[in-house]
Amino acid sequence: MAAVRPAQGQPASEAVRGRMRRQREEELLVWPDLVFIEFISAVVFTILLVGLSVVVDAVLLDRANPAVTPNPSKAPWYFLNLQELLLHMHPALAGVIVPTIALIALGAIPYWDADHEGQGQWLSTPRAWANMWVGSIVGAFGTLLLIFFDDGQHAKLYERLMNASGVVANIDGKPNPDFNAWPFPVLRTMRDFQKNFPWDLGFIDLSKPIPLGNLLRTDLLGLPRLDLNVNIPAVVVEQMIPVGVMVGFPVLLSVVAQRRGLAVTRRDHMILQFAGFIATYLMLTVVGTYFRGLGLALGPYTIFAEK
Amino acid sequence: MAATERPTRRSMGDRLYDAIFSNRLWRSIFRSGYPNTPRNQMLAVATNVFLHLHPTRIHRTHVKITHTFCLGGLSFFLFLGLTITGVLLMFYYVPSVERAYEDILRLDTDVRFGQLMRNIHRWMAHGMVLTVLMHMMRVFYTGAYKPPREFNWVVGVVLLVLTLLLSFTGYLLPWDQLALWAITVGTNMVGSAPLLGEPNRFVLVGGFQVGQNALIRFYTLHVIGLPLLAAVFMTVHFWRIRRDGGLAKPL
Ligand code: HEM
Repeated sequence: MAAVRPAQGQPASEAVRGRMRRQREEELLVWPDLVFIEFISAVVFTILLVGLSVVVDAVLLDRANPAVTPNPSKAPWYFLNLQELLLHMHPALAGVIVPTIALIALGAIPYWDADHEGQGQWLSTPRAWANMWVGSIVGAFGTLLLIFFDDGQHAKLYERLMNASGVVANIDGKPNPDFNAWPFPVLRTMRDFQKNFPWDLGFIDLSKPIPLGNLLRTDLLGLPRLDLNVNIPAVVVEQMIPVGVMVGFPVLLSVVAQRRGLAVTRRDHMILQFAGFIATYLMLTVVGTYFRGLGLALGPYTIFAEK
Repeated sequence: MAATERPTRRSMGDRLYDAIFSNRLWRSIFRSGYPNTPRNQMLAVATNVFLHLHPTRIHRTHVKITHTFCLGGLSFFLFLGLTITGVLLMFYYVPSVERAYEDILRLDTDVRFGQLMRNIHRWMAHGMVLTVLMHMMRVFYTGAYKPPREFNWVVGVVLLVLTLLLSFTGYLLPWDQLALWAITVGTNMVGSAPLLGEPNRFVLVGGFQVGQNALIRFYTLHVIGLPLLAAVFMTVHFWRIRRDGGLAKPL
């Protein structure tokens, strides 16, 4: 860009003048070439939107009633990704910390990937498309697998494959001895892990709440006594494992891509991670919108079926 | 003009054209006729208050639909459309727990074109969330966030947040079951933040549960606070595009 203009005081060489002329030739006039496109697309979209509005009415359910909680209660669709996260981890993490960090990371992209490689053209660097596809596929299916895992779908699949049809887990409330159950009850869902993992290590029972309030004697400073009971299984399952997954998997993806020569430059890693983020975001939104029904259980769900 | 044509008699079209575009009223608004030379076309863009956001010339590739898919422009178009339909909706809507739902019902049944206005507003709102997200993806995949455009990307992220907040605050206004519970779920998420969460939720909702205080807060933010903020950030966004030398192009 800057090199196009001749340095001050120097006569523009033939080459520089040639380049300036070529740049001029590459340019079009805003009127009519851009203004008309803008005008036409405004007209087209006005027509499309009015048409859509004639055909499909905006919903209006019953009058708001604080006494009747609908089941399921859902946030607006663009926050259903966060509501989906909420099912798998501590609410502070899903509702506030993850979105805050995600937005800051998004804003920081240009400060991290700051060279001019691949600028101004669609996915123009050598491995751009490959990284976009790998990021998208890993993000989408990785998210789906994690959701399935936390829902115990792997255990259900195992039980379906290992049992002839008709064999059920319980008969009259008693376990059926002929039923091949998933052999690792601890690893059915993360909640089962929290409940059934042998937290009692003998010398210390981690499932007992740790009264941090007794250690941090804030009352000695004249402050109110803290009622901090740290529940180790909950901290592990609701905070440490989710953070590990959300940080670890993307890092793993980048490391593997680097090793395999897929991602070499920063732009490569950026595309890989951004595509993965968008795919995760979309998958969480889709699952939260269409596959969370009564009690937010996993299963097909039709919006406004009751109307 | 063909030699056989009589020069004295002007066609209907020509006379109509002159009647519309050469009278004193029109000339007082638009001082010159259709800009049919490159010089005049550039002047038209540079001197018109609405068009002068544009440069007078742009790079060939940026005119291609497939470069931007018009997504930033569409986001702005939707913002303008939402402002217009929103003002019309404000004529009929009172943000009170007693009246809001009935006002929307009346709008849908009694007001001429009321349902249509509400539908357009709703679809444009959903559309804007989508176009802004897709615009962000377009900017990312064309590498247009790179220096000197870093800060405009950050302005964009702020605009994305403002767009989501605009949509979220509007969601409560019809005061139906969908609105109440979506906002309850959403604001509870805010409340789950460590330390500052609960105070923040309380300020946002104006109480322990979503009621009249929440409705008036969301309404005020929706119709004046957030749109003003968004307009300011859009102004900066567009200005920065010009200052950064137009859209990004390959070096
Ligand atoms: C209300 C929301 C927004 C509006 C109305 C808007 C509008 C626009 C418009 C009209 C353009 C000109 C080119 C085009 O149409 O693509 C543009 C460019 C740009 N936008 Fe946005 N935008 C919005 C949100 C965002 C977001 C969320 C981001 C990124 C996070 C962003 C980053 C950029 C950047 C970096 C450019 C320069 C692109 C280039 O040089 O090729 N904008 N914006």
